[in-house]
Amino acid sequence: MVFLALTEMRRAKLRFGLLTGAVALLVFLVLLLTTLSGALVGALTGALEGLRADGIVYSDSARDNIAASRLAPETVALVAAVPGVQEAAGVGTLTSGGRVDAESVDFQVFGVDAAGPGSPSGLTEGRLAEAVGEAAVDGDVAIGQVIVLDPSGVELTVVGLLRGAQFNALPTAYTTLDTYDEVVTASFPGLPFVPVNAVAFTVTQDADLSAVVSAISDAVPEVTAYSLTDAVALIPGIESISQSFGILVGLTFIIGIVVIGFFFLILTVQKLRAFTLLRAIGTGSGRLATSVSVQIAIVVLLASVIALGLTLLAVEGLNTGLPVSINVSTVIGTIVAVLVFSLLAGLLSVRRIMRIDPASAVGAR
Amino acid sequence: MAEQNSTSETLATSGGVPALLRVDEVTKIYGSGHTAVTALQAASMSVDTNEFVALLGPSGSGKTTLISIIGGLLAPTSGSIHLGGVDVTGLSARELTRFRAERVGFVFQSANLVPFLTARENLLYVAGLTKMPKSHARQRADQLLEELGLAARAKNVPEQLSGGERQRVAIGRALMNDPDLVLVDEPTAALDTALGRQVVQLLRREIKDRGKTGIMVTHDLRMVEYTDRVFEILDGHLTHVESPTTAGH
Ligand SMILES: Nc1ncnc2c1ncn2[C@@H]1O[C@H](COP(=O)(O)OP(=O)(O)OP(=O)(O)O)[C@@H](O)[C@H]1O
Ligand SMILES: [Mg+2]
Repeated sequence: MVFLALTEMRRAKLRFGLLTGAVALLVFLVLLLTTLSGALVGALTGALEGLRADGIVYSDSARDNIAASRLAPETVALVAAVPGVQEAAGVGTLTSGGRVDAESVDFQVFGVDAAGPGSPSGLTEGRLAEAVGEAAVDGDVAIGQVIVLDPSGVELTVVGLLRGAQFNALPTAYTTLDTYDEVVTASFPGLPFVPVNAVAFTVTQDADLSAVVSAISDAVPEVTAYSLTDAVALIPGIESISQSFGILVGLTFIIGIVVIGFFFLILTVQKLRAFTLLRAIGTGSGRLATSVSVQIAIVVLLASVIALGLTLLAVEGLNTGLPVSINVSTVIGTIVAVLVFSLLAGLLSVRRIMRIDPASAVGAR
Repeated sequence: MAEQNSTSETLATSGGVPALLRVDEVTKIYGSGHTAVTALQAASMSVDTNEFVALLGPSGSGKTTLISIIGGLLAPTSGSIHLGGVDVTGLSARELTRFRAERVGFVFQSANLVPFLTARENLLYVAGLTKMPKSHARQRADQLLEELGLAARAKNVPEQLSGGERQRVAIGRALMNDPDLVLVDEPTAALDTALGRQVVQLLRREIKDRGKTGIMVTHDLRMVEYTDRVFEILDGHLTHVESPTTAGH
């Protein structure tokens, strides 16, 4: 009964206002934690996740870590020759010191082929690097600025801006493989050849990714291939970070649901006399249950709107040093989950309502 | 007790037309085993349309139990209730809920109003339980509140009303759905004599004007003069008394 539900809420604004506020704070906490964990994980994995590749190849000795992987440049051709592979491209990367306008910033430098599967996605402005000395950057720079890498002294001119392409929570600079070679030779003079760290590959349309992955591992000596999803999941530390945040979010979520469930149970028990009277004068218990559910839905939706506003403010205002953005599907998912589970928690109240004996409305009892 | 058990007398009403309300041999036993309480013992009565009767008896005699059974709130242990041809005791829980909403107007001994609804909303709420059109319901609620002298209090919630006002709102609520039967439990218990008389007079007028059947539970002998007939209940035994004054306690 919508009338009953709404009228009661109007007459008890303070009570329902406080409840809505409490629920809003809890939903806010859930949304903020999910957003931050998403941002953190994104900053750690973005570069890899954003590759336009289906899979990636590391050296056997790398233990799933791109930074520890070294492959001879010829490996690219070997991977490309495996049946099912459409395209393969080398990816070179190293962490380098750098200066932007005399300010020191560390960069994860990637050498990629702008047209191949090793190229990044998430370009928001400008273009990818095409010539030596150019870079597309995910970091606090503007197009046209120059990054001077230390100790190689190589200068990179920013020609494009990327988003969501950070790695190990470091800003990234995507250059051509030639620029990358220059950086490496200048940093480590005397190398016989410049190795790549990984080979990114795409598979043909009709190929089965997992089959191609095993075929590469078998056919090319001393390498292990991974699907991109597996490679992302295997980045050191990702699993424990995701799990820790998962526990925090889950606990906050559960606490929120329990608060809603118990609060409505208390409200129901407090109103038992009124509910009993309503039953006695001919209200079906289904109507009362509906009334409670309507109230729960209103409280949760209102609280969600407030929480969403708070989250937006927090994302704007908090300077975490991470590229934080709100993920719409996560937000909607969270709100729907809170709503569904709150209604389930409301079943506690509904059960109590169903047990009301309308006969106890009579007399002075 | 001057009166004999009056089953034969009350079951048949004048002119051979079946009475609106028939209570046949209703027994109610609360609990079981050695804690069982017999609240009603083979009670029989019949009340006709346009009659306003009193149900008199000391505390604990079974008055509330009887009208609860009549109003479809409580199932009797044995016996039957018929209202206008409907066997109330044969209705399912769902049907009973509808029966209470549509055919019975109840004024309870206490806690009569929904605390978070205004006087007017308390009336409108019960109309919402039936198919009464909204505009008609509003008109009727306003008219009832007017007749009950509550027009100025229509927008107040129960806690802002006096005991007498609350009692009158409850009467309005009971009459709202145009029920066949109005059951009133101790309407004057919380009121002083003057106000009590006023409320009972009002009740009589509303019942008579609208051609309802009314049963009023009371243990206040002075209220009996406003009723047509008097039943007395003592330890669960129901009797029809000719002259209310003999029912004193
Ligand atoms: N739910 C119950 N369980 C057990 N016994 C009950 C129950 N309700 C009533 N009784 C008993 O049944 C008897 C009749 O109760 P009832 O409420 O009908 O009396 P009453 O005539 O309305 O009294 P009063 O004037 O005080 O309201 C009493 O002895 C009472 O204790
Ligand atoms: Mg009673």
